[in-house]
Amino acid sequence: MSEGDIRLEGLVKNYGDVVAVDGIDLHIPSGEFFTMLGPSGCGKTTTLRMIAGFERPTEGQILLDGVDMSSTPPHKRRVNTVFQNYALFTHMTVAENVGFGLRYQKVSKDEAKRRVDAVMEMVQISELGERRTSELSGGQQQRVALARALVLEAPVLLLDEPLGALDARLRLDLQVELKRIQEQLEVTFIYVTHDQDEALTMSDRVAVMKGGKIEQCDVPQKLYEEPNTAFVANFLGSANLLSVEARAAGAGCDVILGNFTLKSESKPEQAGVGTAMIRPEYVKLEPQGSEGENRIPGMVEEVVYMGFHQDVRVRLANGELIRADVPNDGDSPEYEQGNAVAVHLRAANLRVLDDYPDQAADETSGDADIAAV
Amino acid sequence: MSATPTEQAVTTQQTRSPRFSLGNPWSKPRWLTGVTWVYILWSLLPVLLAIRVAFNEGRSRTSIDGWSLKWFFGDNSFSVFGDPALQDALTHSLLLAGLAMLIATPLGIMLAIGLQRWRGRGSGPANVVALLPLVTPELVFAVGLFLLFTTLLSTIGLGTTAQVIGHVTFSMSFVVVIVRGRLVTVGPDVEEAAADLGAPPLAVIWRVLLPLLAPAIAASLLIVFALSIDDFVVSQYLASGAETATVPMRIYAQARGAPLPSVNALATLMLLFTLLALVLAYVVFRFMTRGEKRGSAIEQIASIDSGGGR
Repeated sequence: MSEGDIRLEGLVKNYGDVVAVDGIDLHIPSGEFFTMLGPSGCGKTTTLRMIAGFERPTEGQILLDGVDMSSTPPHKRRVNTVFQNYALFTHMTVAENVGFGLRYQKVSKDEAKRRVDAVMEMVQISELGERRTSELSGGQQQRVALARALVLEAPVLLLDEPLGALDARLRLDLQVELKRIQEQLEVTFIYVTHDQDEALTMSDRVAVMKGGKIEQCDVPQKLYEEPNTAFVANFLGSANLLSVEARAAGAGCDVILGNFTLKSESKPEQAGVGTAMIRPEYVKLEPQGSEGENRIPGMVEEVVYMGFHQDVRVRLANGELIRADVPNDGDSPEYEQGNAVAVHLRAANLRVLDDYPDQAADETSGDADIAAV
Repeated sequence: MSATPTEQAVTTQQTRSPRFSLGNPWSKPRWLTGVTWVYILWSLLPVLLAIRVAFNEGRSRTSIDGWSLKWFFGDNSFSVFGDPALQDALTHSLLLAGLAMLIATPLGIMLAIGLQRWRGRGSGPANVVALLPLVTPELVFAVGLFLLFTTLLSTIGLGTTAQVIGHVTFSMSFVVVIVRGRLVTVGPDVEEAAADLGAPPLAVIWRVLLPLLAPAIAASLLIVFALSIDDFVVSQYLASGAETATVPMRIYAQARGAPLPSVNALATLMLLFTLLALVLAYVVFRFMTRGEKRGSAIEQIASIDSGGGR
């Protein structure tokens, strides 16, 4: 099955003077679970709406299996959408909702009924067929919306924050289920969300978007472990951002932090003043005076109990504040304000970002040295 | 002592008995309840009195005088169903209301959808203009229409056609308000969803938009009916003669000429029609939107009810 290959080429959308989508080039191969992740106003929903056909691109092309469809009206596109607020037809029963689209395909009545039954079983709403949509819970409505889109067997399914209106518990269940359905049907899913957990747990690939552009696009693990910019580092999980100077050295680089020189295995695009990033869970606290590379003395300034871990904030000798996640696993010591420690920033986890200094400064102003999402 | 005025005010309030509701924020608002009831009784009293006279035995319109239905059905030529002039007025009123209802509703729906969708230059003023008839003094509106039909549109001239056009014009604003309220409740997503599922534009309208608007459409039909049947000023100005007299016009004329309780009987019938239309509008709307969260649309209907007595 090689259907459902989506290619966006130089996609731009302007509303008057406002640029909503600012040149997106993207290839989403058939059968991929692709997520567009970003804060509100980053252009992710507009991009999705252009693929669906609700908005016309100002510039650029949208190719489905190699054919440009940017001027095909929505009802003729082989693409279906699951809406954020479900957009169910309240004057119809659940079964009528699910079967709606089949009227416009050349499908016999028996075939239509068979397909409606099958898809309702797949999303576990078989027993709700005769109900009115207003009698359903949020999770059930979401399932109806999903079934209604899936029944048409289009090669691409667009999902616009489909779990946004549900409570946390239900969201987790449906995440697992969405992933299962996607793998079972081998349909291309293009998923829009601002929830980093959803993006990380379900996606084959994630594009982090900002200001109408793709900031970085990669598999979830790469995106989390090796963000290129401070924005990506902050949007996915939390990150310590340090103002440093990088100097090329061998396969990695030397990171100059005040009076200290640290090693990093990352290789930035360009040397010079920049930003280094390390995740709090990779910041290791060791007893005062422990020796070795990439260790900096510091003093515990604040400890916040977070349940499964302690959030320990350490003032480094050069004046920077850094956050360490110390697991509450019974083995790790409990820290108190005023403890002197050695902070170990492992070379493998210390990463110099590609941001130009002025860009990084924009996003890390004020207290955002320690930024959490 | 240098007590500031504020301090003095506080002291007086505290010394007041808590039973005085104006000084006591926790007391029941008896005053407001009282005023409300007085108003309700006062506004109903003349109506009830007029209805009571319709059932008079005698010929007096100024005093209560026995019980009978003779001014409705009596075989004398003065009862509603005995006097051909009153009957003609009733038929003409119903004809006007029926036509206004059937014309204003579809036009109003289209106007509402258009205004709802229209973004960009001109949409702001258009919104205001479409609702202007709600606040224009009816007399000004009627005089304007009169001039229009006697000069520019003299081919149409005064008469039934002009009356229907007049009623349609002012009642469309009400349709727009009702339908737009519903459009907001329904939201733009359902139409996109229908198109997304493969429905061509016409099918989106027939199978999704209109069924979802049905409660508002039903309510609009009945409210236009009620507005039209109630109308006096526009009907009066655009009438061309005795055959285009409506019930309110007839009542007005008779009340000044030779008043008999049959006029009250006719008015009672009209009141019945209007009430029926409004109650039906409310019930139908509630029935068709059952199960939905109670949205602003219902409150809008309620506000239209009170506007119906313009």
